[in-house]
Amino acid sequence: MTVAELKNDGKACAMDTAHISSARELRVVIDLVVNGERVIEEIEPNMLLLHFLRDRLKLFGAKEACGEGECGACTVLMNGYAVTSCLVLAVEANGAEILTVEGLSKGNELSILQQEFVFQDALQCGFCTPGMLMSARGLLDNNPNPTDEEIHEAMAGNLCRCTGYLQIFNAVKRAAEREREEREE
Amino acid sequence: MLSQFDYVKPLVLNEALAALAKEDNSYVLAGGTDLMIMLRHNAINARHIIDIKGIPELNELRFIENEGLTIGANVVVNALVDSELVKNKYKALHDAASCLASFQLRNRATLVGNICNASPGADLPPALLVYDAVVKIASVDGVREVPLVEFFTGVKKTVLTKNELVLSVFLPDPGDNDASCYLRQTRLKGHDLSTVGVACRLDGKGKVAVAIGAVAPTPLRLKALETAINEKGLSGETILWAADAINEHIKPISDVRSSEAYRRHMASVLLKRCLVTLTGKEV
Repeated sequence: MTVAELKNDGKACAMDTAHISSARELRVVIDLVVNGERVIEEIEPNMLLLHFLRDRLKLFGAKEACGEGECGACTVLMNGYAVTSCLVLAVEANGAEILTVEGLSKGNELSILQQEFVFQDALQCGFCTPGMLMSARGLLDNNPNPTDEEIHEAMAGNLCRCTGYLQIFNAVKRAAEREREEREE
Repeated sequence: MLSQFDYVKPLVLNEALAALAKEDNSYVLAGGTDLMIMLRHNAINARHIIDIKGIPELNELRFIENEGLTIGANVVVNALVDSELVKNKYKALHDAASCLASFQLRNRATLVGNICNASPGADLPPALLVYDAVVKIASVDGVREVPLVEFFTGVKKTVLTKNELVLSVFLPDPGDNDASCYLRQTRLKGHDLSTVGVACRLDGKGKVAVAIGAVAPTPLRLKALETAINEKGLSGETILWAADAINEHIKPISDVRSSEAYRRHMASVLLKRCLVTLTGKEV
């Protein structure tokens, strides 16, 4: 008889095991890592992760557009997986590692992915770009060798009003190639 | 800004059930992809949020041969998409999970949340219905099991009472030689609820099961149609007949996604495509 334990441990949802308190709280202290730095803040439980990042930490990369998980402008990585931060409570990120677009570059040096967005003309107004970059980062971290279809699928939750989708696709594809080359060196 | 609520994250199930029973206006939070939108629109008056992601037993995603697949309340949709076992054994579920919302949402949204939200146009219920899924429900008064086909009672309504929590969904082992698929029509490729979604299954004994979403207040399992198809035998002629007959079994409406007439047309087309895919018959 086969008993297969299937993987559910790597995903953003199941990773939220850090405990807060069994008591009902109207103010909670959260302890998390944002872009590699530990952050401890007292918040109200009804604060969204997006608002925590923007209003409290002054990280303005993640954007609020639709506020309903439709457009992807607020995408960040939570424990390595792309999530729409407008649909996550800040308190749910307790114990989590969050990566925003501000965490992609090393000082003033853009990451390969960011460079390719520039080289491929993958942005015009730039409003969707932080979300696009984070969806792409989440894809390449979990699947360094994506097929064209996998790139389309991973980016399908991010809308661009300037209609630069082809350039965005090209940037992600080229970034994947360059990151592979860099790893092999 | 969301309305004010308090938050609790129990580590054991009994604590969650006690919290749920204690106060009205308590809501369960797992993935939150539907709950946050309802909070944002003030569609619900949530005073207490009970986050169940700290309860380890709800993370269960386990298949036991000759028994079946248990999908716990914390299992996110992308965990099903990534599973080779789900792809091989429960193809319709894999198809439906793969097209649900967007990649980011699937990293967060749970299968159990998708059924509890009880949207008529949800993608997962038709796929679960053809596998005779059973919903395991708990409250402080104990545990009960409800077949999914009896779980939905109306638009956004289920048999769940205020103090109940869904623990898991169970799908019996379909055995060998079982095939299924889920096809849907949407306004755009990518992030949209289905205009119509059809799941079909051809089991090891050659019997057909059909379920459909977005054509009635609840997802439907079309037992009468299945019986008729199985009595006629699965020929190309039967497939054409069934594609026509499905319209007697559905009650679609016109709304923002589609007219009633288009839904009827697509129900017919998708059923035909599903059955042709599963049987390889020419029509």
